Amino acid sequence: MAAPMALRRELFSLTRIIGGISRLGPRAVGACSGHGTNNITRSLLPLASCTSFHTTTVFSSTPSSITVTEEADTLYQKVSLLVKGHDRAVLDSYELFATTAAKELNITINKVHEQPKDMDRFTLLKSVHIFKNHRVQYEMRTHYRCIELAHITGCTAQVYLEYVQRNLPEGVAMAVTKTSMEKVPDHILKPLWEDHPIDNELSQ
Amino acid sequence: MLLVLVCRDQQAEPHTRRISLHMLLLEIKAGDPRTEKMPVDQDWTAVYPSATPFRPNAVPLPLRMGYPVKGGVPPEKKGNLELLKIPNFLHLTPVAIKKHCEALKPFCTEWPSALDTDATCDEHFPIKVDGTDYVSAGPSVRNPSARVVHLRVKLSSLNLDDHASKKMLKLVGNKYCKDTDVITIKTDSCPLRQQNQDYAMYLLTVLYHESWKTEAWEAEKSVADMEEYSWEDSPSQRNLLDVLVRRKAAGEGEGEGEEVREQLLGRSEVQEYKDSVTRLKNEGESESAVLQYKEAVKKVLNL
Repeated sequence: MAAPMALRRELFSLTRIIGGISRLGPRAVGACSGHGTNNITRSLLPLASCTSFHTTTVFSSTPSSITVTEEADTLYQKVSLLVKGHDRAVLDSYELFATTAAKELNITINKVHEQPKDMDRFTLLKSVHIFKNHRVQYEMRTHYRCIELAHITGCTAQVYLEYVQRNLPEGVAMAVTKTSMEKVPDHILKPLWEDHPIDNELSQ
Repeated sequence: MLLVLVCRDQQAEPHTRRISLHMLLLEIKAGDPRTEKMPVDQDWTAVYPSATPFRPNAVPLPLRMGYPVKGGVPPEKKGNLELLKIPNFLHLTPVAIKKHCEALKPFCTEWPSALDTDATCDEHFPIKVDGTDYVSAGPSVRNPSARVVHLRVKLSSLNLDDHASKKMLKLVGNKYCKDTDVITIKTDSCPLRQQNQDYAMYLLTVLYHESWKTEAWEAEKSVADMEEYSWEDSPSQRNLLDVLVRRKAAGEGEGEGEEVREQLLGRSEVQEYKDSVTRLKNEGESESAVLQYKEAVKKVLNL
């Protein structure tokens, strides 16, 4: 399949490793574990010859085994992706990609909006020495795009975010804010003092 | 040059003309770009399976990019640096995205259908924990802001009685939002996000249990510490009752303090006055509140 091979190719761009996202457990393609690096180098050799001809190799892999654990899945009420870049056209294309991917994976999209751009301007002296009256001005424009998704489970969020982040174009940054919902834990359901009354002298 | 060869063949052996023409059509000259041989219904995902720089000989589109020369058009795609510089999404066509998602679908789980509205979510899962991840290219993959955790919980969803909720509000201070009834705990003192999450949950537990405790010094709570204004035993009540009692005494000449006071308190105008004063003190001054107070005063004093 083109998909696992394409994803494996993304692993080569190591600068885009996600910070703080736990690795995908049940995926056979995921080479995040220690021995995975050897797998990458080994797979480089058969692929290198094919890259120049731009053909897909028939990737003979063992079918990825999906393990289902009893652990409860986290529930995210809201996942908001804020993408920042210097080029608005790149962000437009990326937004199209992210929204299409979300629709394909049946993720509800709350809102897609564009934050107004930030312009970072500064004025410097044009010359190395003296000539204070001659300056040069620079500005850096940062464009934003915010994609808000609602009602996602932990597994789906992991899959979607990893897919979308591996295909983040160069020069674009992303900040993902996840709001997870939790039940009130058992130790906050009832006050402790009903069962074990404490003397006031002790508390003083 | 190839045309010349063909002509020579035709002159030499006319009966083999068709074969050499056929061979010309089939012959792949090394210099031809790949775009010439691309069929219209090809599998594009095979041409661009992953993120690669723009190759003009592999993209069959008549693209032009760049600032045009004076009186001219933007430069063509052959040898165009602008097309190389900009990130391209040729590997992420809708067809490619569909293929990728088909492969990813087995790893996704469905959202429980019972939790379709925010209200049901709040009811069953009242605690909300916020965490942020950052992705960017740079010398380091880590971002120190990723350890910050916000824990939000509605006060009404915790099991607290009257005294406990008031004490909780005093303990929590400015972390409580009155409009939304939400307590927000922000933790960033630990280096890892998991540690901050645990610390926030620990703070919530401590707040909860401490607010149920009643300390000895809480008995010294004075009127200044009260969260809400209560009319009973307030200067306003005393003043009103004094005025009414003196009026009654002046009018009828009766005087038995306690019973008269009880009767006066029972009257509906006095209750209305009490409501209007409590409203003014608790909710602040607004036009409707001041008007209500005016009406109540007029009724009580029979103006």
